[in-house]
Amino acid sequence: MTDALPLSVRALRKQYRRRVVLGGVTFDVRPGEAVALAGPNGAGKSTLIGCITADRVPTAGEVRLCGADPFERPREAAACMGFVPEQPFLYPELSVAELLRFVAAARGLDADASAAEAARLLGMLGLAGAEQTLCRELSQGMGRKTAIAAALLHRPRMIVLDEALNGLDRTSAERLVAELDARRATGAAVLISSHDLDFLAGWCGRGILLPSVGTWRLLEGDDWEAWRRAPSLTAS
Amino acid sequence: MTPLRLLLSLAARRLADAVRHPRIGTWAAVALPAVIAAAGLWMAGESVRPDLSTGDGVILLGLLAAAPTSIQSYPVLFRSPDDAFLRRLGIPARALFGVRALRLLALGAGVVLALMIPFVSTGEPPARPLAVAMAATVAAWAVSLWAQARAAVKVGEGRPNPFAGFLGPDPQLAAAASLVYAPLYPLFGSAAAARFAGSEVATMPVRLAVVAAVSVALVPLAAAAFARALPRFAPRAGEMAYAPPPDASGGELIVGRGIARLLPATVQAARARDAVVLGRRYRWASRVAWPVSIVAALALLRGGGSPSLRTAVTLGCGLLLVAQAGTVIALGRAERGRLRWLDRGVGLGAANRLLGRWTAAFGQGMAVALPLAFGWWLGVPGGGGWMWLAAAAGVAAVASLASMAAAGR
Repeated sequence: MTDALPLSVRALRKQYRRRVVLGGVTFDVRPGEAVALAGPNGAGKSTLIGCITADRVPTAGEVRLCGADPFERPREAAACMGFVPEQPFLYPELSVAELLRFVAAARGLDADASAAEAARLLGMLGLAGAEQTLCRELSQGMGRKTAIAAALLHRPRMIVLDEALNGLDRTSAERLVAELDARRATGAAVLISSHDLDFLAGWCGRGILLPSVGTWRLLEGDDWEAWRRAPSLTAS
Repeated sequence: MTPLRLLLSLAARRLADAVRHPRIGTWAAVALPAVIAAAGLWMAGESVRPDLSTGDGVILLGLLAAAPTSIQSYPVLFRSPDDAFLRRLGIPARALFGVRALRLLALGAGVVLALMIPFVSTGEPPARPLAVAMAATVAAWAVSLWAQARAAVKVGEGRPNPFAGFLGPDPQLAAAASLVYAPLYPLFGSAAAARFAGSEVATMPVRLAVVAAVSVALVPLAAAAFARALPRFAPRAGEMAYAPPPDASGGELIVGRGIARLLPATVQAARARDAVVLGRRYRWASRVAWPVSIVAALALLRGGGSPSLRTAVTLGCGLLLVAQAGTVIALGRAERGRLRWLDRGVGLGAANRLLGRWTAAFGQGMAVALPLAFGWWLGVPGGGGWMWLAAAAGVAAVASLASMAAAGR
């Protein structure tokens, strides 16, 4: 399984009643690369991510996370992936430290090592000192940082970020990108959706464009170079 | 630590939050309706207590004990707010099943305790009603787990239900037919269990042990079905919960209609908003009200002299008012930390919000109370229909206070 691609999507189709949201999306994410997911509101970015994270059932097609089907082998797929949703879930009754301790225990991580990693991640994200704050007391940005720390704690091979940079201050965003670069250098891959097209164009090496009208496009090679010179949400 | 123990310790930690970080709003939202409901059951006494000297009474107690478990089994099993989070952490499905099954059992135990209140208040020895209610609850619990998990497998795998045609032409509803019918099985099971527990076969402990053994034997089957269903069905459950936007015909927001014009302008706005949100979020609460209250009123007109009929009407319509109060409290919970900014932004004060919410809640309850008041006034010797209007107003007041407390600052 460790030799398998971090993410492989084949002929993925998603339909809500009669409305086709995703039609035959096919792409791979290779170790060490960052892939952009761009598109206007309602184009299907979150639906595509939902199909990858098993929060949506594809109408057809297949998804593999480190070679594991997230519906048939959910535990292997979960071990492969770290996901930060657009609206992260945090237990309001737990403190930041308790939440991260729970995540570490649920993933079967060594308690001491994960505590040290959690402290490092919180420090990196500017949350040092907020460990005892209840999640319900966190601001939107602090909540997102907590969700990011929870997603990165087990050093996933596939990192999926759905608008994860929204609400982060500039320093924290830069530190997060540096952390992601360090993870990529060790073989992790990143799929990131964002409305910050300039950031996507500057940081990612390939992209998937989901226009509101027309079919999806995989942007790589010359297509990607052309798009990153003038990023836009239109398919042309 | 096993995943199940981990989830149980998480649940304990979350429950303990109410004590570790006590908040008046949280306590009031839970304790106020609970205390009032318990007091109501205590005072109503004999009129809300099934007569266990007959088989019908035994089955009625069994159904009353089983209904909440049966109805809540689907949301408890498949609509937990942290479901996606836990699945993405790789928590095994059987551990999720274990903690949710225990949660459902705890709900059933609470209902059994509530049902015992009128027996205790009237001096009835509680041993037999307790045994009947416990047998019905355990049976409803196990059968609910099995029926819901099995229905989820069928729906997840796209297997048709032979009775789907009875649900009408909507193909999406027909595809979910197994889930629609699943709550019926525990009702049948609990009625049979209650009848058996209330019979004279062997001794009571033996009868209870038989019901418990048969019920517990179903649980591994339910766990296996749940584990098979969860990966594909859980995301589908979220998609099925999607409600299309309401159409503009009827129920739209109109400020200052009818006698609401008598209210201050800001209260009118709060009332109109709350009435529309209640009507759209919890449409069932208003849809079910008219048929139930009209049937109850007609029954009173025909046989209002019968004490047993009055008991049944009081129980049914009282439960409906309580359910409607639950939607008002749920509205407050939905507002917590999210929607209150809008009220603050437009300068809507707490008193105006409370009065607006009370009038909206009272309006919702009038669908139950008004036909019933007429039926009672005309059909019951001695009249007294006004008490239903007073009850609706009182329930709305309690629910509005609890709702405001739940919404928080």
